[in-house]
Amino acid sequence: MSEIYRELTDLWERAVYLRDIKGEDWENISELVKVLEDLRRDFYERPSADLEKRLPGFRSRILELEDLAARTLTPYEVVRIVRHPQRFTLLDILENVYDRYTELGGEGEINIDPAVVVARAMISRRVGDKVYLHQVMVIGHEKGHGEEFREGGSAKPWGNEKALRYMKIAETEGIPIHFYIFTPGAYPIEDYPGAAQQIARNLYTMAKLKVPMVAFISEGGSGGAEAIGLADMRLMASRGYYSVISPEGAAAIEAKLKSGRPPRELVERCARNLRLTAEDNLRLGTIDRIVPEPPLGARRRDYAFFRRLRYEMIRATDEVVLQTRSLRTFRKYVLSRRNGSEVPEDFGIYVNWELSEDEKEILLENRSRKYREMSRWAICGRVSRLQSYLEKGQDLGTRMFHGLRHGIFRQSQKALRRMFEEFTQEGSAFLKPVTDPVKTVYNLVAGRKKKVPRIVSPIERIEEPEDIYVSPLALEDRTVTCPNAETHGCPDLWVPDLYGEFCGVCPNCGHHFPLEYQWYLNNIFDRGSIREFNEEISSGNPLNFEGYAEKLAEARKKTGRNSAMLTFEAKIGGISLIVAMLIADFRQGTVGVAEGEKFIRACDRARVTRRPFLALVHTTGGIRIHEGTLGVVQMPRCTLAAREYIDSGGLYIVVYDNNSYAGPVASFLGCSPYQFALRSTRLGFAGPRVILETTGQPVPPDYHSAENALRRGHIQGVWDRRELRLKLYEALLTMGGRNLYYR
Amino acid sequence: MGIDHRKINRLLQKLRSHPYCVYAIETPHTGYLRSFRVKEGSEVQPGEILFLLERERNLKPVKSRVSGRVQRLRQDLLDRFVEAGEPILEIWHPLSQEEVISEILQEALQVLRAPETARYLPSPEIEARLRKDGPGKALVHPGEDLLIMTFMKRETPIRHEGPPAVIYRIFFDPQEVVPAGNPLLGLCSPEEVPYIDRVLARIREEWPEQ
Amino acid sequence: MKERLLIANRGEIALRIMEACEELGLDYVVVYTRADEESLHVRRARRKFRIADYRDPNEILAVADEAGCTAVHPGYGFLAEDFRFARRVVKRSRPLIFVGPRWEVIRDLGSKLNVKRLAREMGIPVIPGTTEPLYNEIEAEAKAEELFQWLVENGEPEPRLLIKASAGGGGMGIEEVRELDEVRPIFRRVRAYAKRLFGDEGVVIEAKLSCFQHLEVQLLGNQHGELVHFGTRNCTIQSPGRQKRVELAPGFDPAYLTYEFSPERVLEEIVNHSLKMAEAVGYDSVGTWEWLVTPEGRAYLMEVNTRIQVENEISARISRIRKRPVNLIREQIRMALGEKLGYTQRDITFQGTAIELRLVAEDTRRNFRPLSGTITRFQYPRYPWLTVRTHVPQDRPYTIPTEYDPNLALLIVWGENTPQALERARRALEEMILEGHTSGGGPLHSNVSYLWEKLKEVYRFPV
Repeated sequence: MSEIYRELTDLWERAVYLRDIKGEDWENISELVKVLEDLRRDFYERPSADLEKRLPGFRSRILELEDLAARTLTPYEVVRIVRHPQRFTLLDILENVYDRYTELGGEGEINIDPAVVVARAMISRRVGDKVYLHQVMVIGHEKGHGEEFREGGSAKPWGNEKALRYMKIAETEGIPIHFYIFTPGAYPIEDYPGAAQQIARNLYTMAKLKVPMVAFISEGGSGGAEAIGLADMRLMASRGYYSVISPEGAAAIEAKLKSGRPPRELVERCARNLRLTAEDNLRLGTIDRIVPEPPLGARRRDYAFFRRLRYEMIRATDEVVLQTRSLRTFRKYVLSRRNGSEVPEDFGIYVNWELSEDEKEILLENRSRKYREMSRWAICGRVSRLQSYLEKGQDLGTRMFHGLRHGIFRQSQKALRRMFEEFTQEGSAFLKPVTDPVKTVYNLVAGRKKKVPRIVSPIERIEEPEDIYVSPLALEDRTVTCPNAETHGCPDLWVPDLYGEFCGVCPNCGHHFPLEYQWYLNNIFDRGSIREFNEEISSGNPLNFEGYAEKLAEARKKTGRNSAMLTFEAKIGGISLIVAMLIADFRQGTVGVAEGEKFIRACDRARVTRRPFLALVHTTGGIRIHEGTLGVVQMPRCTLAAREYIDSGGLYIVVYDNNSYAGPVASFLGCSPYQFALRSTRLGFAGPRVILETTGQPVPPDYHSAENALRRGHIQGVWDRRELRLKLYEALLTMGGRNLYYR
Repeated sequence: MGIDHRKINRLLQKLRSHPYCVYAIETPHTGYLRSFRVKEGSEVQPGEILFLLERERNLKPVKSRVSGRVQRLRQDLLDRFVEAGEPILEIWHPLSQEEVISEILQEALQVLRAPETARYLPSPEIEARLRKDGPGKALVHPGEDLLIMTFMKRETPIRHEGPPAVIYRIFFDPQEVVPAGNPLLGLCSPEEVPYIDRVLARIREEWPEQ
Repeated sequence: MKERLLIANRGEIALRIMEACEELGLDYVVVYTRADEESLHVRRARRKFRIADYRDPNEILAVADEAGCTAVHPGYGFLAEDFRFARRVVKRSRPLIFVGPRWEVIRDLGSKLNVKRLAREMGIPVIPGTTEPLYNEIEAEAKAEELFQWLVENGEPEPRLLIKASAGGGGMGIEEVRELDEVRPIFRRVRAYAKRLFGDEGVVIEAKLSCFQHLEVQLLGNQHGELVHFGTRNCTIQSPGRQKRVELAPGFDPAYLTYEFSPERVLEEIVNHSLKMAEAVGYDSVGTWEWLVTPEGRAYLMEVNTRIQVENEISARISRIRKRPVNLIREQIRMALGEKLGYTQRDITFQGTAIELRLVAEDTRRNFRPLSGTITRFQYPRYPWLTVRTHVPQDRPYTIPTEYDPNLALLIVWGENTPQALERARRALEEMILEGHTSGGGPLHSNVSYLWEKLKEVYRFPV
């Protein structure tokens, strides 16, 4: 009797699950659900024999449907599987994969952030008749099974901070970290220090954390996933998804929706275009291995899956560890893998997860190589493998050249500097504003007396034959009203004055009007000092995202550029530096493979030539969604390169302007110790609309202002555009590490 | 200082019989009156564009600061060059609860009036205090600079004389020239604050928000 | 085509420009603000436009276009020395003639530092001090030490320096330093002030002369490279706010006083230096070179005013061109319209002494506080030797606008010699009637008695 009821319930649940995944209109599933529901409700009113007779029919129908469902599973249905309340969560894993665990930093709702769970756990393996226990730190998102306080696994900044804290503890204790990524995305709030800033800090730390890290992705929602995703080995559930944006979000952008829901058909198409399934990601090289689940996804009670997961996590950790040791052992170990559906009880081999100091170094090298290699295949333009090797050779040459040059001159320069310092006692005080800059004693002593171009009005241009840059905005005889006129009483501004002499700044209230990126190129750097490199690296369409190739072609035509990232060498007050600049004109300064690669190469060039490195953000709209997770992995990739540059003793400065949002800010830009924003910047993780949709709360208009970013501790200062050149010059002289050519 | 309830009642009665304030909307500067965005008799809200004025190829929307009904709209000026300060239309603004309160407060409080037609600014200390505590709480001590008057190109401080007082109300806009004799600040002694709060509560009850 | 001038100013200068236009047979258009509705410059003009603000170039140019003007006269103050305005006037899509020097000249001579630098290069003496803005304390201290040294060597019993905001002017952002130890804190204070007020941290240091006379050289140039001078003026008598109150032409009068130096030589020197610099920059309008002269007869160039000045008429009053009277505003407009001088320096002769008295509603006993109020009665005598320049009506009460300087009238008195001019000046002051009340109801003060007193001090070094 109860046996029949239990089976009926089971069939009903499976039917409901099918309906949830495939939709109400699929194969009359709703009808079947209703029939089963009615049977369950009237179970005790009906003769059981009758039911018993009908059960096998239902059973075979459900099996048939499940089979069909699995065969016709679309990417968007995979997303639904992942979001289903019956899907396994991190706490299920802690219960079933680990042998003992203690949750740290909170319990359930009583927690600094219930969406992030950290646990000190033990995982066991059997070798022969011996059981070995490994200590690990488990860090991951907890989606919960519908509890609201978990926010669906969206980590708040302090949740990610908790994660970071325990990563460092794992490093102190020398135990591996297992990350479990179950997040639709980070909770997009700008409270201390801001979602983007915290993710960037996490990435910066993970880039060089000296313990093996293995990540497992069930729901990899873009930047939120990367916050705990820069691991040595990245596994992914076969029915998980890993994407730059939710299909709904992508559809809203594609349809240019300001509010409301995008049509289902478009969402399906976006899900397909985003290449977000495990197979896709494996093919793209953004993950290393797939952990198989049942065809329609693993649920809370799929114990076989948990056994599999335990095996895979241990193996992955072993592999990371062994890769730091002998290559032979590693190969042998890889061959020992059993790919059958059943997980062996006996591991057959024990690997000690503790690393020696040398092994830690190798671990970091392996990690660096892994991420630098990631997505490289998708680079377009005149850059072949061969060339990048050649470049390496050149790098070596350049490094030696610069070593020699500055090694030799260093001594005398140092002496000069000392003399200068003794003379002034206040070295940094010798700086003058940009209107009359750089005639400092230091420059006179160092023999770098350079006349700095004045910012010249358009009118003078007409009279002086010299090729002076004039903002195209300035070439109109008309006036504009400052947006603050009502509150600050600003007079109307004559456009040639405003975009000429005033640098696009209202002289009365200091309001910054937006300026084109060429203005920065022409007014911030010494005249004629800009030498662009790697221009040929171009944005491509690695996912074959429908309609994207046309958009790219249009951007190329409009800007005459191949990507949104400009990288160049330039000088400020005679000091040579490397600059990476994201520009609004090319796809809103979004970052994809080409932009990431150019950034990394610029970083490396700055490192080997011992130049200071400036990231100048004219605008960035985030990671380019059309490149999917290939875009997302630019976050860890570029952060790693930036970290290696900073560690080498350089000076990495970031200056934001206009709209600076999302992935890049949450990684390679946000990781800089010296971040500044111009007054006109709106800086943060997600824009006001996304915040409203995610949190249900509208934000005030100045939420993303530079001043608020400063208040939150995201940036280190707010700069005035008129002083940008001077401020940069000051920064070059006073900030950064020891390994700069002029130190 | 006692509060004269009879006087307040009389004022309330007067306001009830003519609950309007007429705002004459003038051109802020010269230019061509390009288009009207309102019609005679239309109801406007604060921030609504009334008309467009073009000067030196800058089309500037002139917005309403108050709500009310548009009257005496100068249709004849359309597409003509107008001088600064030219009356374009009137807005008959029904007095809101807050405005009634403002009128009443001018009776109930010790009002500091503008000694000269000039611009006025709160002194930095007072401004900081107002920002921190808000009107109704910010206290000013004897001998402190209350306001700074910008008059005949000079800045003259206006000192607070008399016992410590609470700045209960600010009647002026620092952006505007205040004609001599207009109210600047409403002050009261700290003990009077609860009484005045009560008067205001009474008005809020009697004069419900539209 | 007949030129039409937009007069972008108010008060008596607007009236004088109107008069000059009428003499030249030019059309003109006047602008005014609501506060000035009762002013004579508004009442007298046939075509006039009400604007929001004399300082707003957009208002001026909008009216100029609407009224079909071909030229703009900025008068003095307001936009007169704003090179951006001058530039916009000539560079806009509907260009106008700017009655004043070329905008580049305004820009380059508008910066005191630039003038100093230029003067040094040309061997013209300037008050010792910095020629470039300083931005840091160490440089400032080094400079200050040097300047103290110089003052001591020049026999200053109490050497003083001035630390100023380089972008400042009109007495704002200036502090005095008595000893070297004060330099650093005061420098920092002025620098912070400058940054806050002018958006530029630049600071200059200058030696302070304890005793000097303030002399001016009146020049007139044009686009054809012609350049003449109309003698010198003495503007030593100023209110504590450094505002001129009594001016005389010529700059020195050896017949009236004896000097410890040769006044003729000094006057010649400053005129020649001024001409030299004007020629070097291609000065093409009326302009004034301001000088400080010490009791020892040393002259230092202080600044250049690239506009018509309030006191221009006393120079005109003592000058004759081929025996005919001179109107400098008319000459300025003529030059702007591209005409030639039609005379040379040799045709210009000088005769007598002229005194200008600036009648201002101010409380001279209370730190020259400007006053506002209503003038109920205003009368002055008529003499051939007296010119009164005023926008204050005599036929009805006049309320002094509070937004502008309360200048009421200029009394320009001429005499065969200084004693006669002084005597006539006294008579004019005595016979003038000015009555009124303040907004508070009290009597309206003016500076008449102060001017009377100051007449005793003319041409003398202050004690």
